[in-house]
Amino acid sequence: MKEKRITDKFEVTDVAVSMKNVNLYYGAFQALKNINMDVAKGEITAFIGPSGCGKSTLLKCINRMNDLVEGCRIEGTFEIGGRNIYGAGVDLQTLRRNVGMVFQKPNPFPVSVYDNITYGPRLYGIRDKATLSAIVEDSLKRAAMWDELKDRLDKSALALSGGQQQRLCIARALSVQPQILLMDEPTSALDPISTGKIEELCAELKEKVTIIIVTHNMQQAARISDKTGFFLLGELIEYASTEKIFSNPEKEQTERYITGRFG
Amino acid sequence: MKQGFNLSKIKEGVAKAVFALAACFAVLSVAAIIGYLLYAGIPAFRETGVGNFLFSTTWAPGYDGPASEKFGILPMIVGSTIATGGALLIGGTLGVAVAVFIVYFCPAKFKMPLVQTVSVLAGIPSVIYGYFGLKQIVPALAAISPNGNGTGVLAVSLVLGIMILPTVASLTKDALEAVPAAYYEGALALGLTKEQSVFKVLVPSAKSGISTALGLGIGRAVGETMAVIMVAGNTVQFPKGLFDGFMTLTGNIVMDMSYASGVHRSALVATGFVLLLFILVLNGILYAVKGKGRKERRKFRFSIKNAGDKGASKVGNALAGFYNRCADGAAEIAQKVKMTALKATDKISCATNAAVTAVLGKGTDKEGKPIYKKAGGGYIVLKVLCAVGTLIMVASVAYLIGFIVVKGTQAFIETGFVNFMFGKGGAGKNSLAPAFVSTGALIGISLAISLPIGVCAAIYLVEYAKSGSRIVKVIRLFTDTLSGIPSIVFGLFGVIVFNDALGLGYSLLSGGLTLSVMILPTVVRAVEESLLNVPLSYREASYALGAGKIHTIGKIVLPCALKGILTATVLSVGRIVSESAALLLTAGSVKNMPRGITSPGSSFAVMMYMYASEGLYMNEAYATALVLIVIVIAINAVIFAIGPKKEKKIERKKNNG
Ligand SMILES: Nc1ncnc2c1ncn2[C@@H]1O[C@H](COP(=O)(O)OP(=O)(O)OP(=O)(O)O)[C@@H](O)[C@H]1O
Ligand SMILES: [Mg+2]
Repeated sequence: MKEKRITDKFEVTDVAVSMKNVNLYYGAFQALKNINMDVAKGEITAFIGPSGCGKSTLLKCINRMNDLVEGCRIEGTFEIGGRNIYGAGVDLQTLRRNVGMVFQKPNPFPVSVYDNITYGPRLYGIRDKATLSAIVEDSLKRAAMWDELKDRLDKSALALSGGQQQRLCIARALSVQPQILLMDEPTSALDPISTGKIEELCAELKEKVTIIIVTHNMQQAARISDKTGFFLLGELIEYASTEKIFSNPEKEQTERYITGRFG
Repeated sequence: MKQGFNLSKIKEGVAKAVFALAACFAVLSVAAIIGYLLYAGIPAFRETGVGNFLFSTTWAPGYDGPASEKFGILPMIVGSTIATGGALLIGGTLGVAVAVFIVYFCPAKFKMPLVQTVSVLAGIPSVIYGYFGLKQIVPALAAISPNGNGTGVLAVSLVLGIMILPTVASLTKDALEAVPAAYYEGALALGLTKEQSVFKVLVPSAKSGISTALGLGIGRAVGETMAVIMVAGNTVQFPKGLFDGFMTLTGNIVMDMSYASGVHRSALVATGFVLLLFILVLNGILYAVKGKGRKERRKFRFSIKNAGDKGASKVGNALAGFYNRCADGAAEIAQKVKMTALKATDKISCATNAAVTAVLGKGTDKEGKPIYKKAGGGYIVLKVLCAVGTLIMVASVAYLIGFIVVKGTQAFIETGFVNFMFGKGGAGKNSLAPAFVSTGALIGISLAISLPIGVCAAIYLVEYAKSGSRIVKVIRLFTDTLSGIPSIVFGLFGVIVFNDALGLGYSLLSGGLTLSVMILPTVVRAVEESLLNVPLSYREASYALGAGKIHTIGKIVLPCALKGILTATVLSVGRIVSESAALLLTAGSVKNMPRGITSPGSSFAVMMYMYASEGLYMNEAYATALVLIVIVIAINAVIFAIGPKKEKKIERKKNNG
């Protein structure tokens, strides 16, 4: 049992995720080229870059969603809490419990709000009604939508607005207490008001959860993130504090991108 | 930790193996059907000689001892060919006309009712078509027949024609709806009339789809049994006129099978084998015409490297080889289809060009400008003909259903509804109670087998197999093949395997087992379709929370696909209820109450055939027909109610792990 603790947990250290010499291939196509990057705990890190530069690809490596893609080959190491998540003896379920994900398009399950949020906890063996209800309340509160939804827990999640659906998805991801939350363009399908709510939410969450967010929206990255990584054609061109990237980038490509001259 | 980890891995592995096995079931079934029919037909082939069997004209089972036995099926081959030709002429033409009308000319509010009419027509059991033919068409024809004989070529053509109409119409409709809108826009932009666009541009560009529709219509006509024997006259001879009786391959099998033994029996199975071969070849040709043949071959070659399953890849290649050879014949067609497809994805201008050449031929005036022919009245006439064809279909359906409803109601009044429906029966008194029980038992047995297998197979195809992989294609091909096999062939297979080899004899169990093989493709396809409609993003969300594949399938995918599974169930029930030929051979045709699943029993359709064929129980036959019609309409209503509403095009699943 002791062994279980050791191998089965990802205790996030000051460096939440450490990526070293990462190369990724879809078949013969190399989508990521020698990425080295440390994501700090308790911060929001933004990935920016033109379409097709590999942002989503890198993000999906961190919870190993790329395992589902045929012909995807990954080199290098991803360490969380000092453990290589692609190493032997790593339980995918445990990894994904610790590294949650929110997708571009809101994708709540076509069941009730309540069942959406309890899906994860049930998966991890929680059956007790009171505990589940407490988790639902807690998750919705953390997603800042408890007041909105507390009377509609048994309503279908598909009846919610797009913005609500996305926040529900965040609540669903939070239900299993992840330490890291991956967000792939979580607001690109939403209106400005919903987008604002989710940005606020991220700022509140980062105390407890390390957030990595992919965004096409420069202002969004500038507003909410602490660090920003700029990608181009599979390479990490520049990675620094958001302030520096947006005010005084080192590389010319970065400057051209953030001032809107390509991509 | 290791243990838990391994346990879930083992669970996933076992589940995958189970699904894969289920998916192979269709392949195994087709192989078994071919194998067993060939095996049981060999004595006849050996006794008679293949050439003699196929091309000699005397069919004389050993009434005067084995020495005088002769088994030549040429008259039956000719009979089936004529019947099919007649049916195609009538049902094929009408079917295409109906489809063109529904897709292009029908006022919007009549569209749904017409589509529903077509699907009701498809669901009506063949015994009802046969009885309707016997009671209405044959007497009418007898009145105008020079030899006073109403049965024969024309009667069969008419009955079979109505029967294949829905097959042709619904597939043609699909093909027409798949024609890119750009064609129509392009044609209109050129100033063509709507009629010209439809008949010169749109219909011709759906040619390959329409040939497939007609091909499947042929398959249905060749394999039809019960309706044919009721109106064909059933004399083994070459018919010389429209009113001459004749025998088809299927008719010969079902009429002799109940008493034949020895070489005679083997000869009947061999007849079934010939029929099966014809269907297989037909399927091969259709497969090639669809233009898939060439594309598939290329994929087969290129993907050999990535072969996941070595063993399966060999089978796959052998099969690909077979179909490629078929495809070579149709290479030119395939090429054309490809060109059309290319154009379809291209800009409107291509369509416009097609339209120009289609309408104008090569005609240009002196300055090299194209000459626009005057909008001829010809196309208007075609449009009117389509409308007339649709009217004929509607009238036929109304007439048939009205006839059964009126006669059935009268019959119920005369026999006493409650008495006939639920009475004790026995000793000269007829009752449908045994049919209720038998039909229920048959439905229960076949669903209990084919639903789990079909669902598992569909799960394998959608959730596990790489989409577009060789395995998926092979399984899908075999599933399609299985669904094209005539029910009489399933009947023979059931007799050989379940009745004889397993010693079940005439029994509900044997009938149910046979039906379960028969409805498997229906289940697989309906469930597959609904699984594909479950958005990929649901699966992603589940995986991202840490769920494994089995958990995701069980908790998310299957619940979302419940409608599809329900549809599959209802479709299967429809198929079972209207089946008669296969059941006649396997479950027998007794009128009494079955004592268990090992005793024989008659479903409604078989019961109706018995009443109808004995000639003594007209009322009972009509009343049973009414019950069947009500069931068919109810099933259509249910499917319509639960069917996928077309409003949202849900993202398709493209990839999986
Ligand atoms: N499953 C896959 N198979 C093959 N190639 C892929 C696959 N997924 C992504 N790619 C390719 O990898 C590259 C990076 O894709 P990725 O989705 O990571 O880009 P992105 O930066 O997220 O772009 P976007 O901003 O449009 O989301 C692209 O060229 C894409 O075509
Ligand atoms: Mg992306």
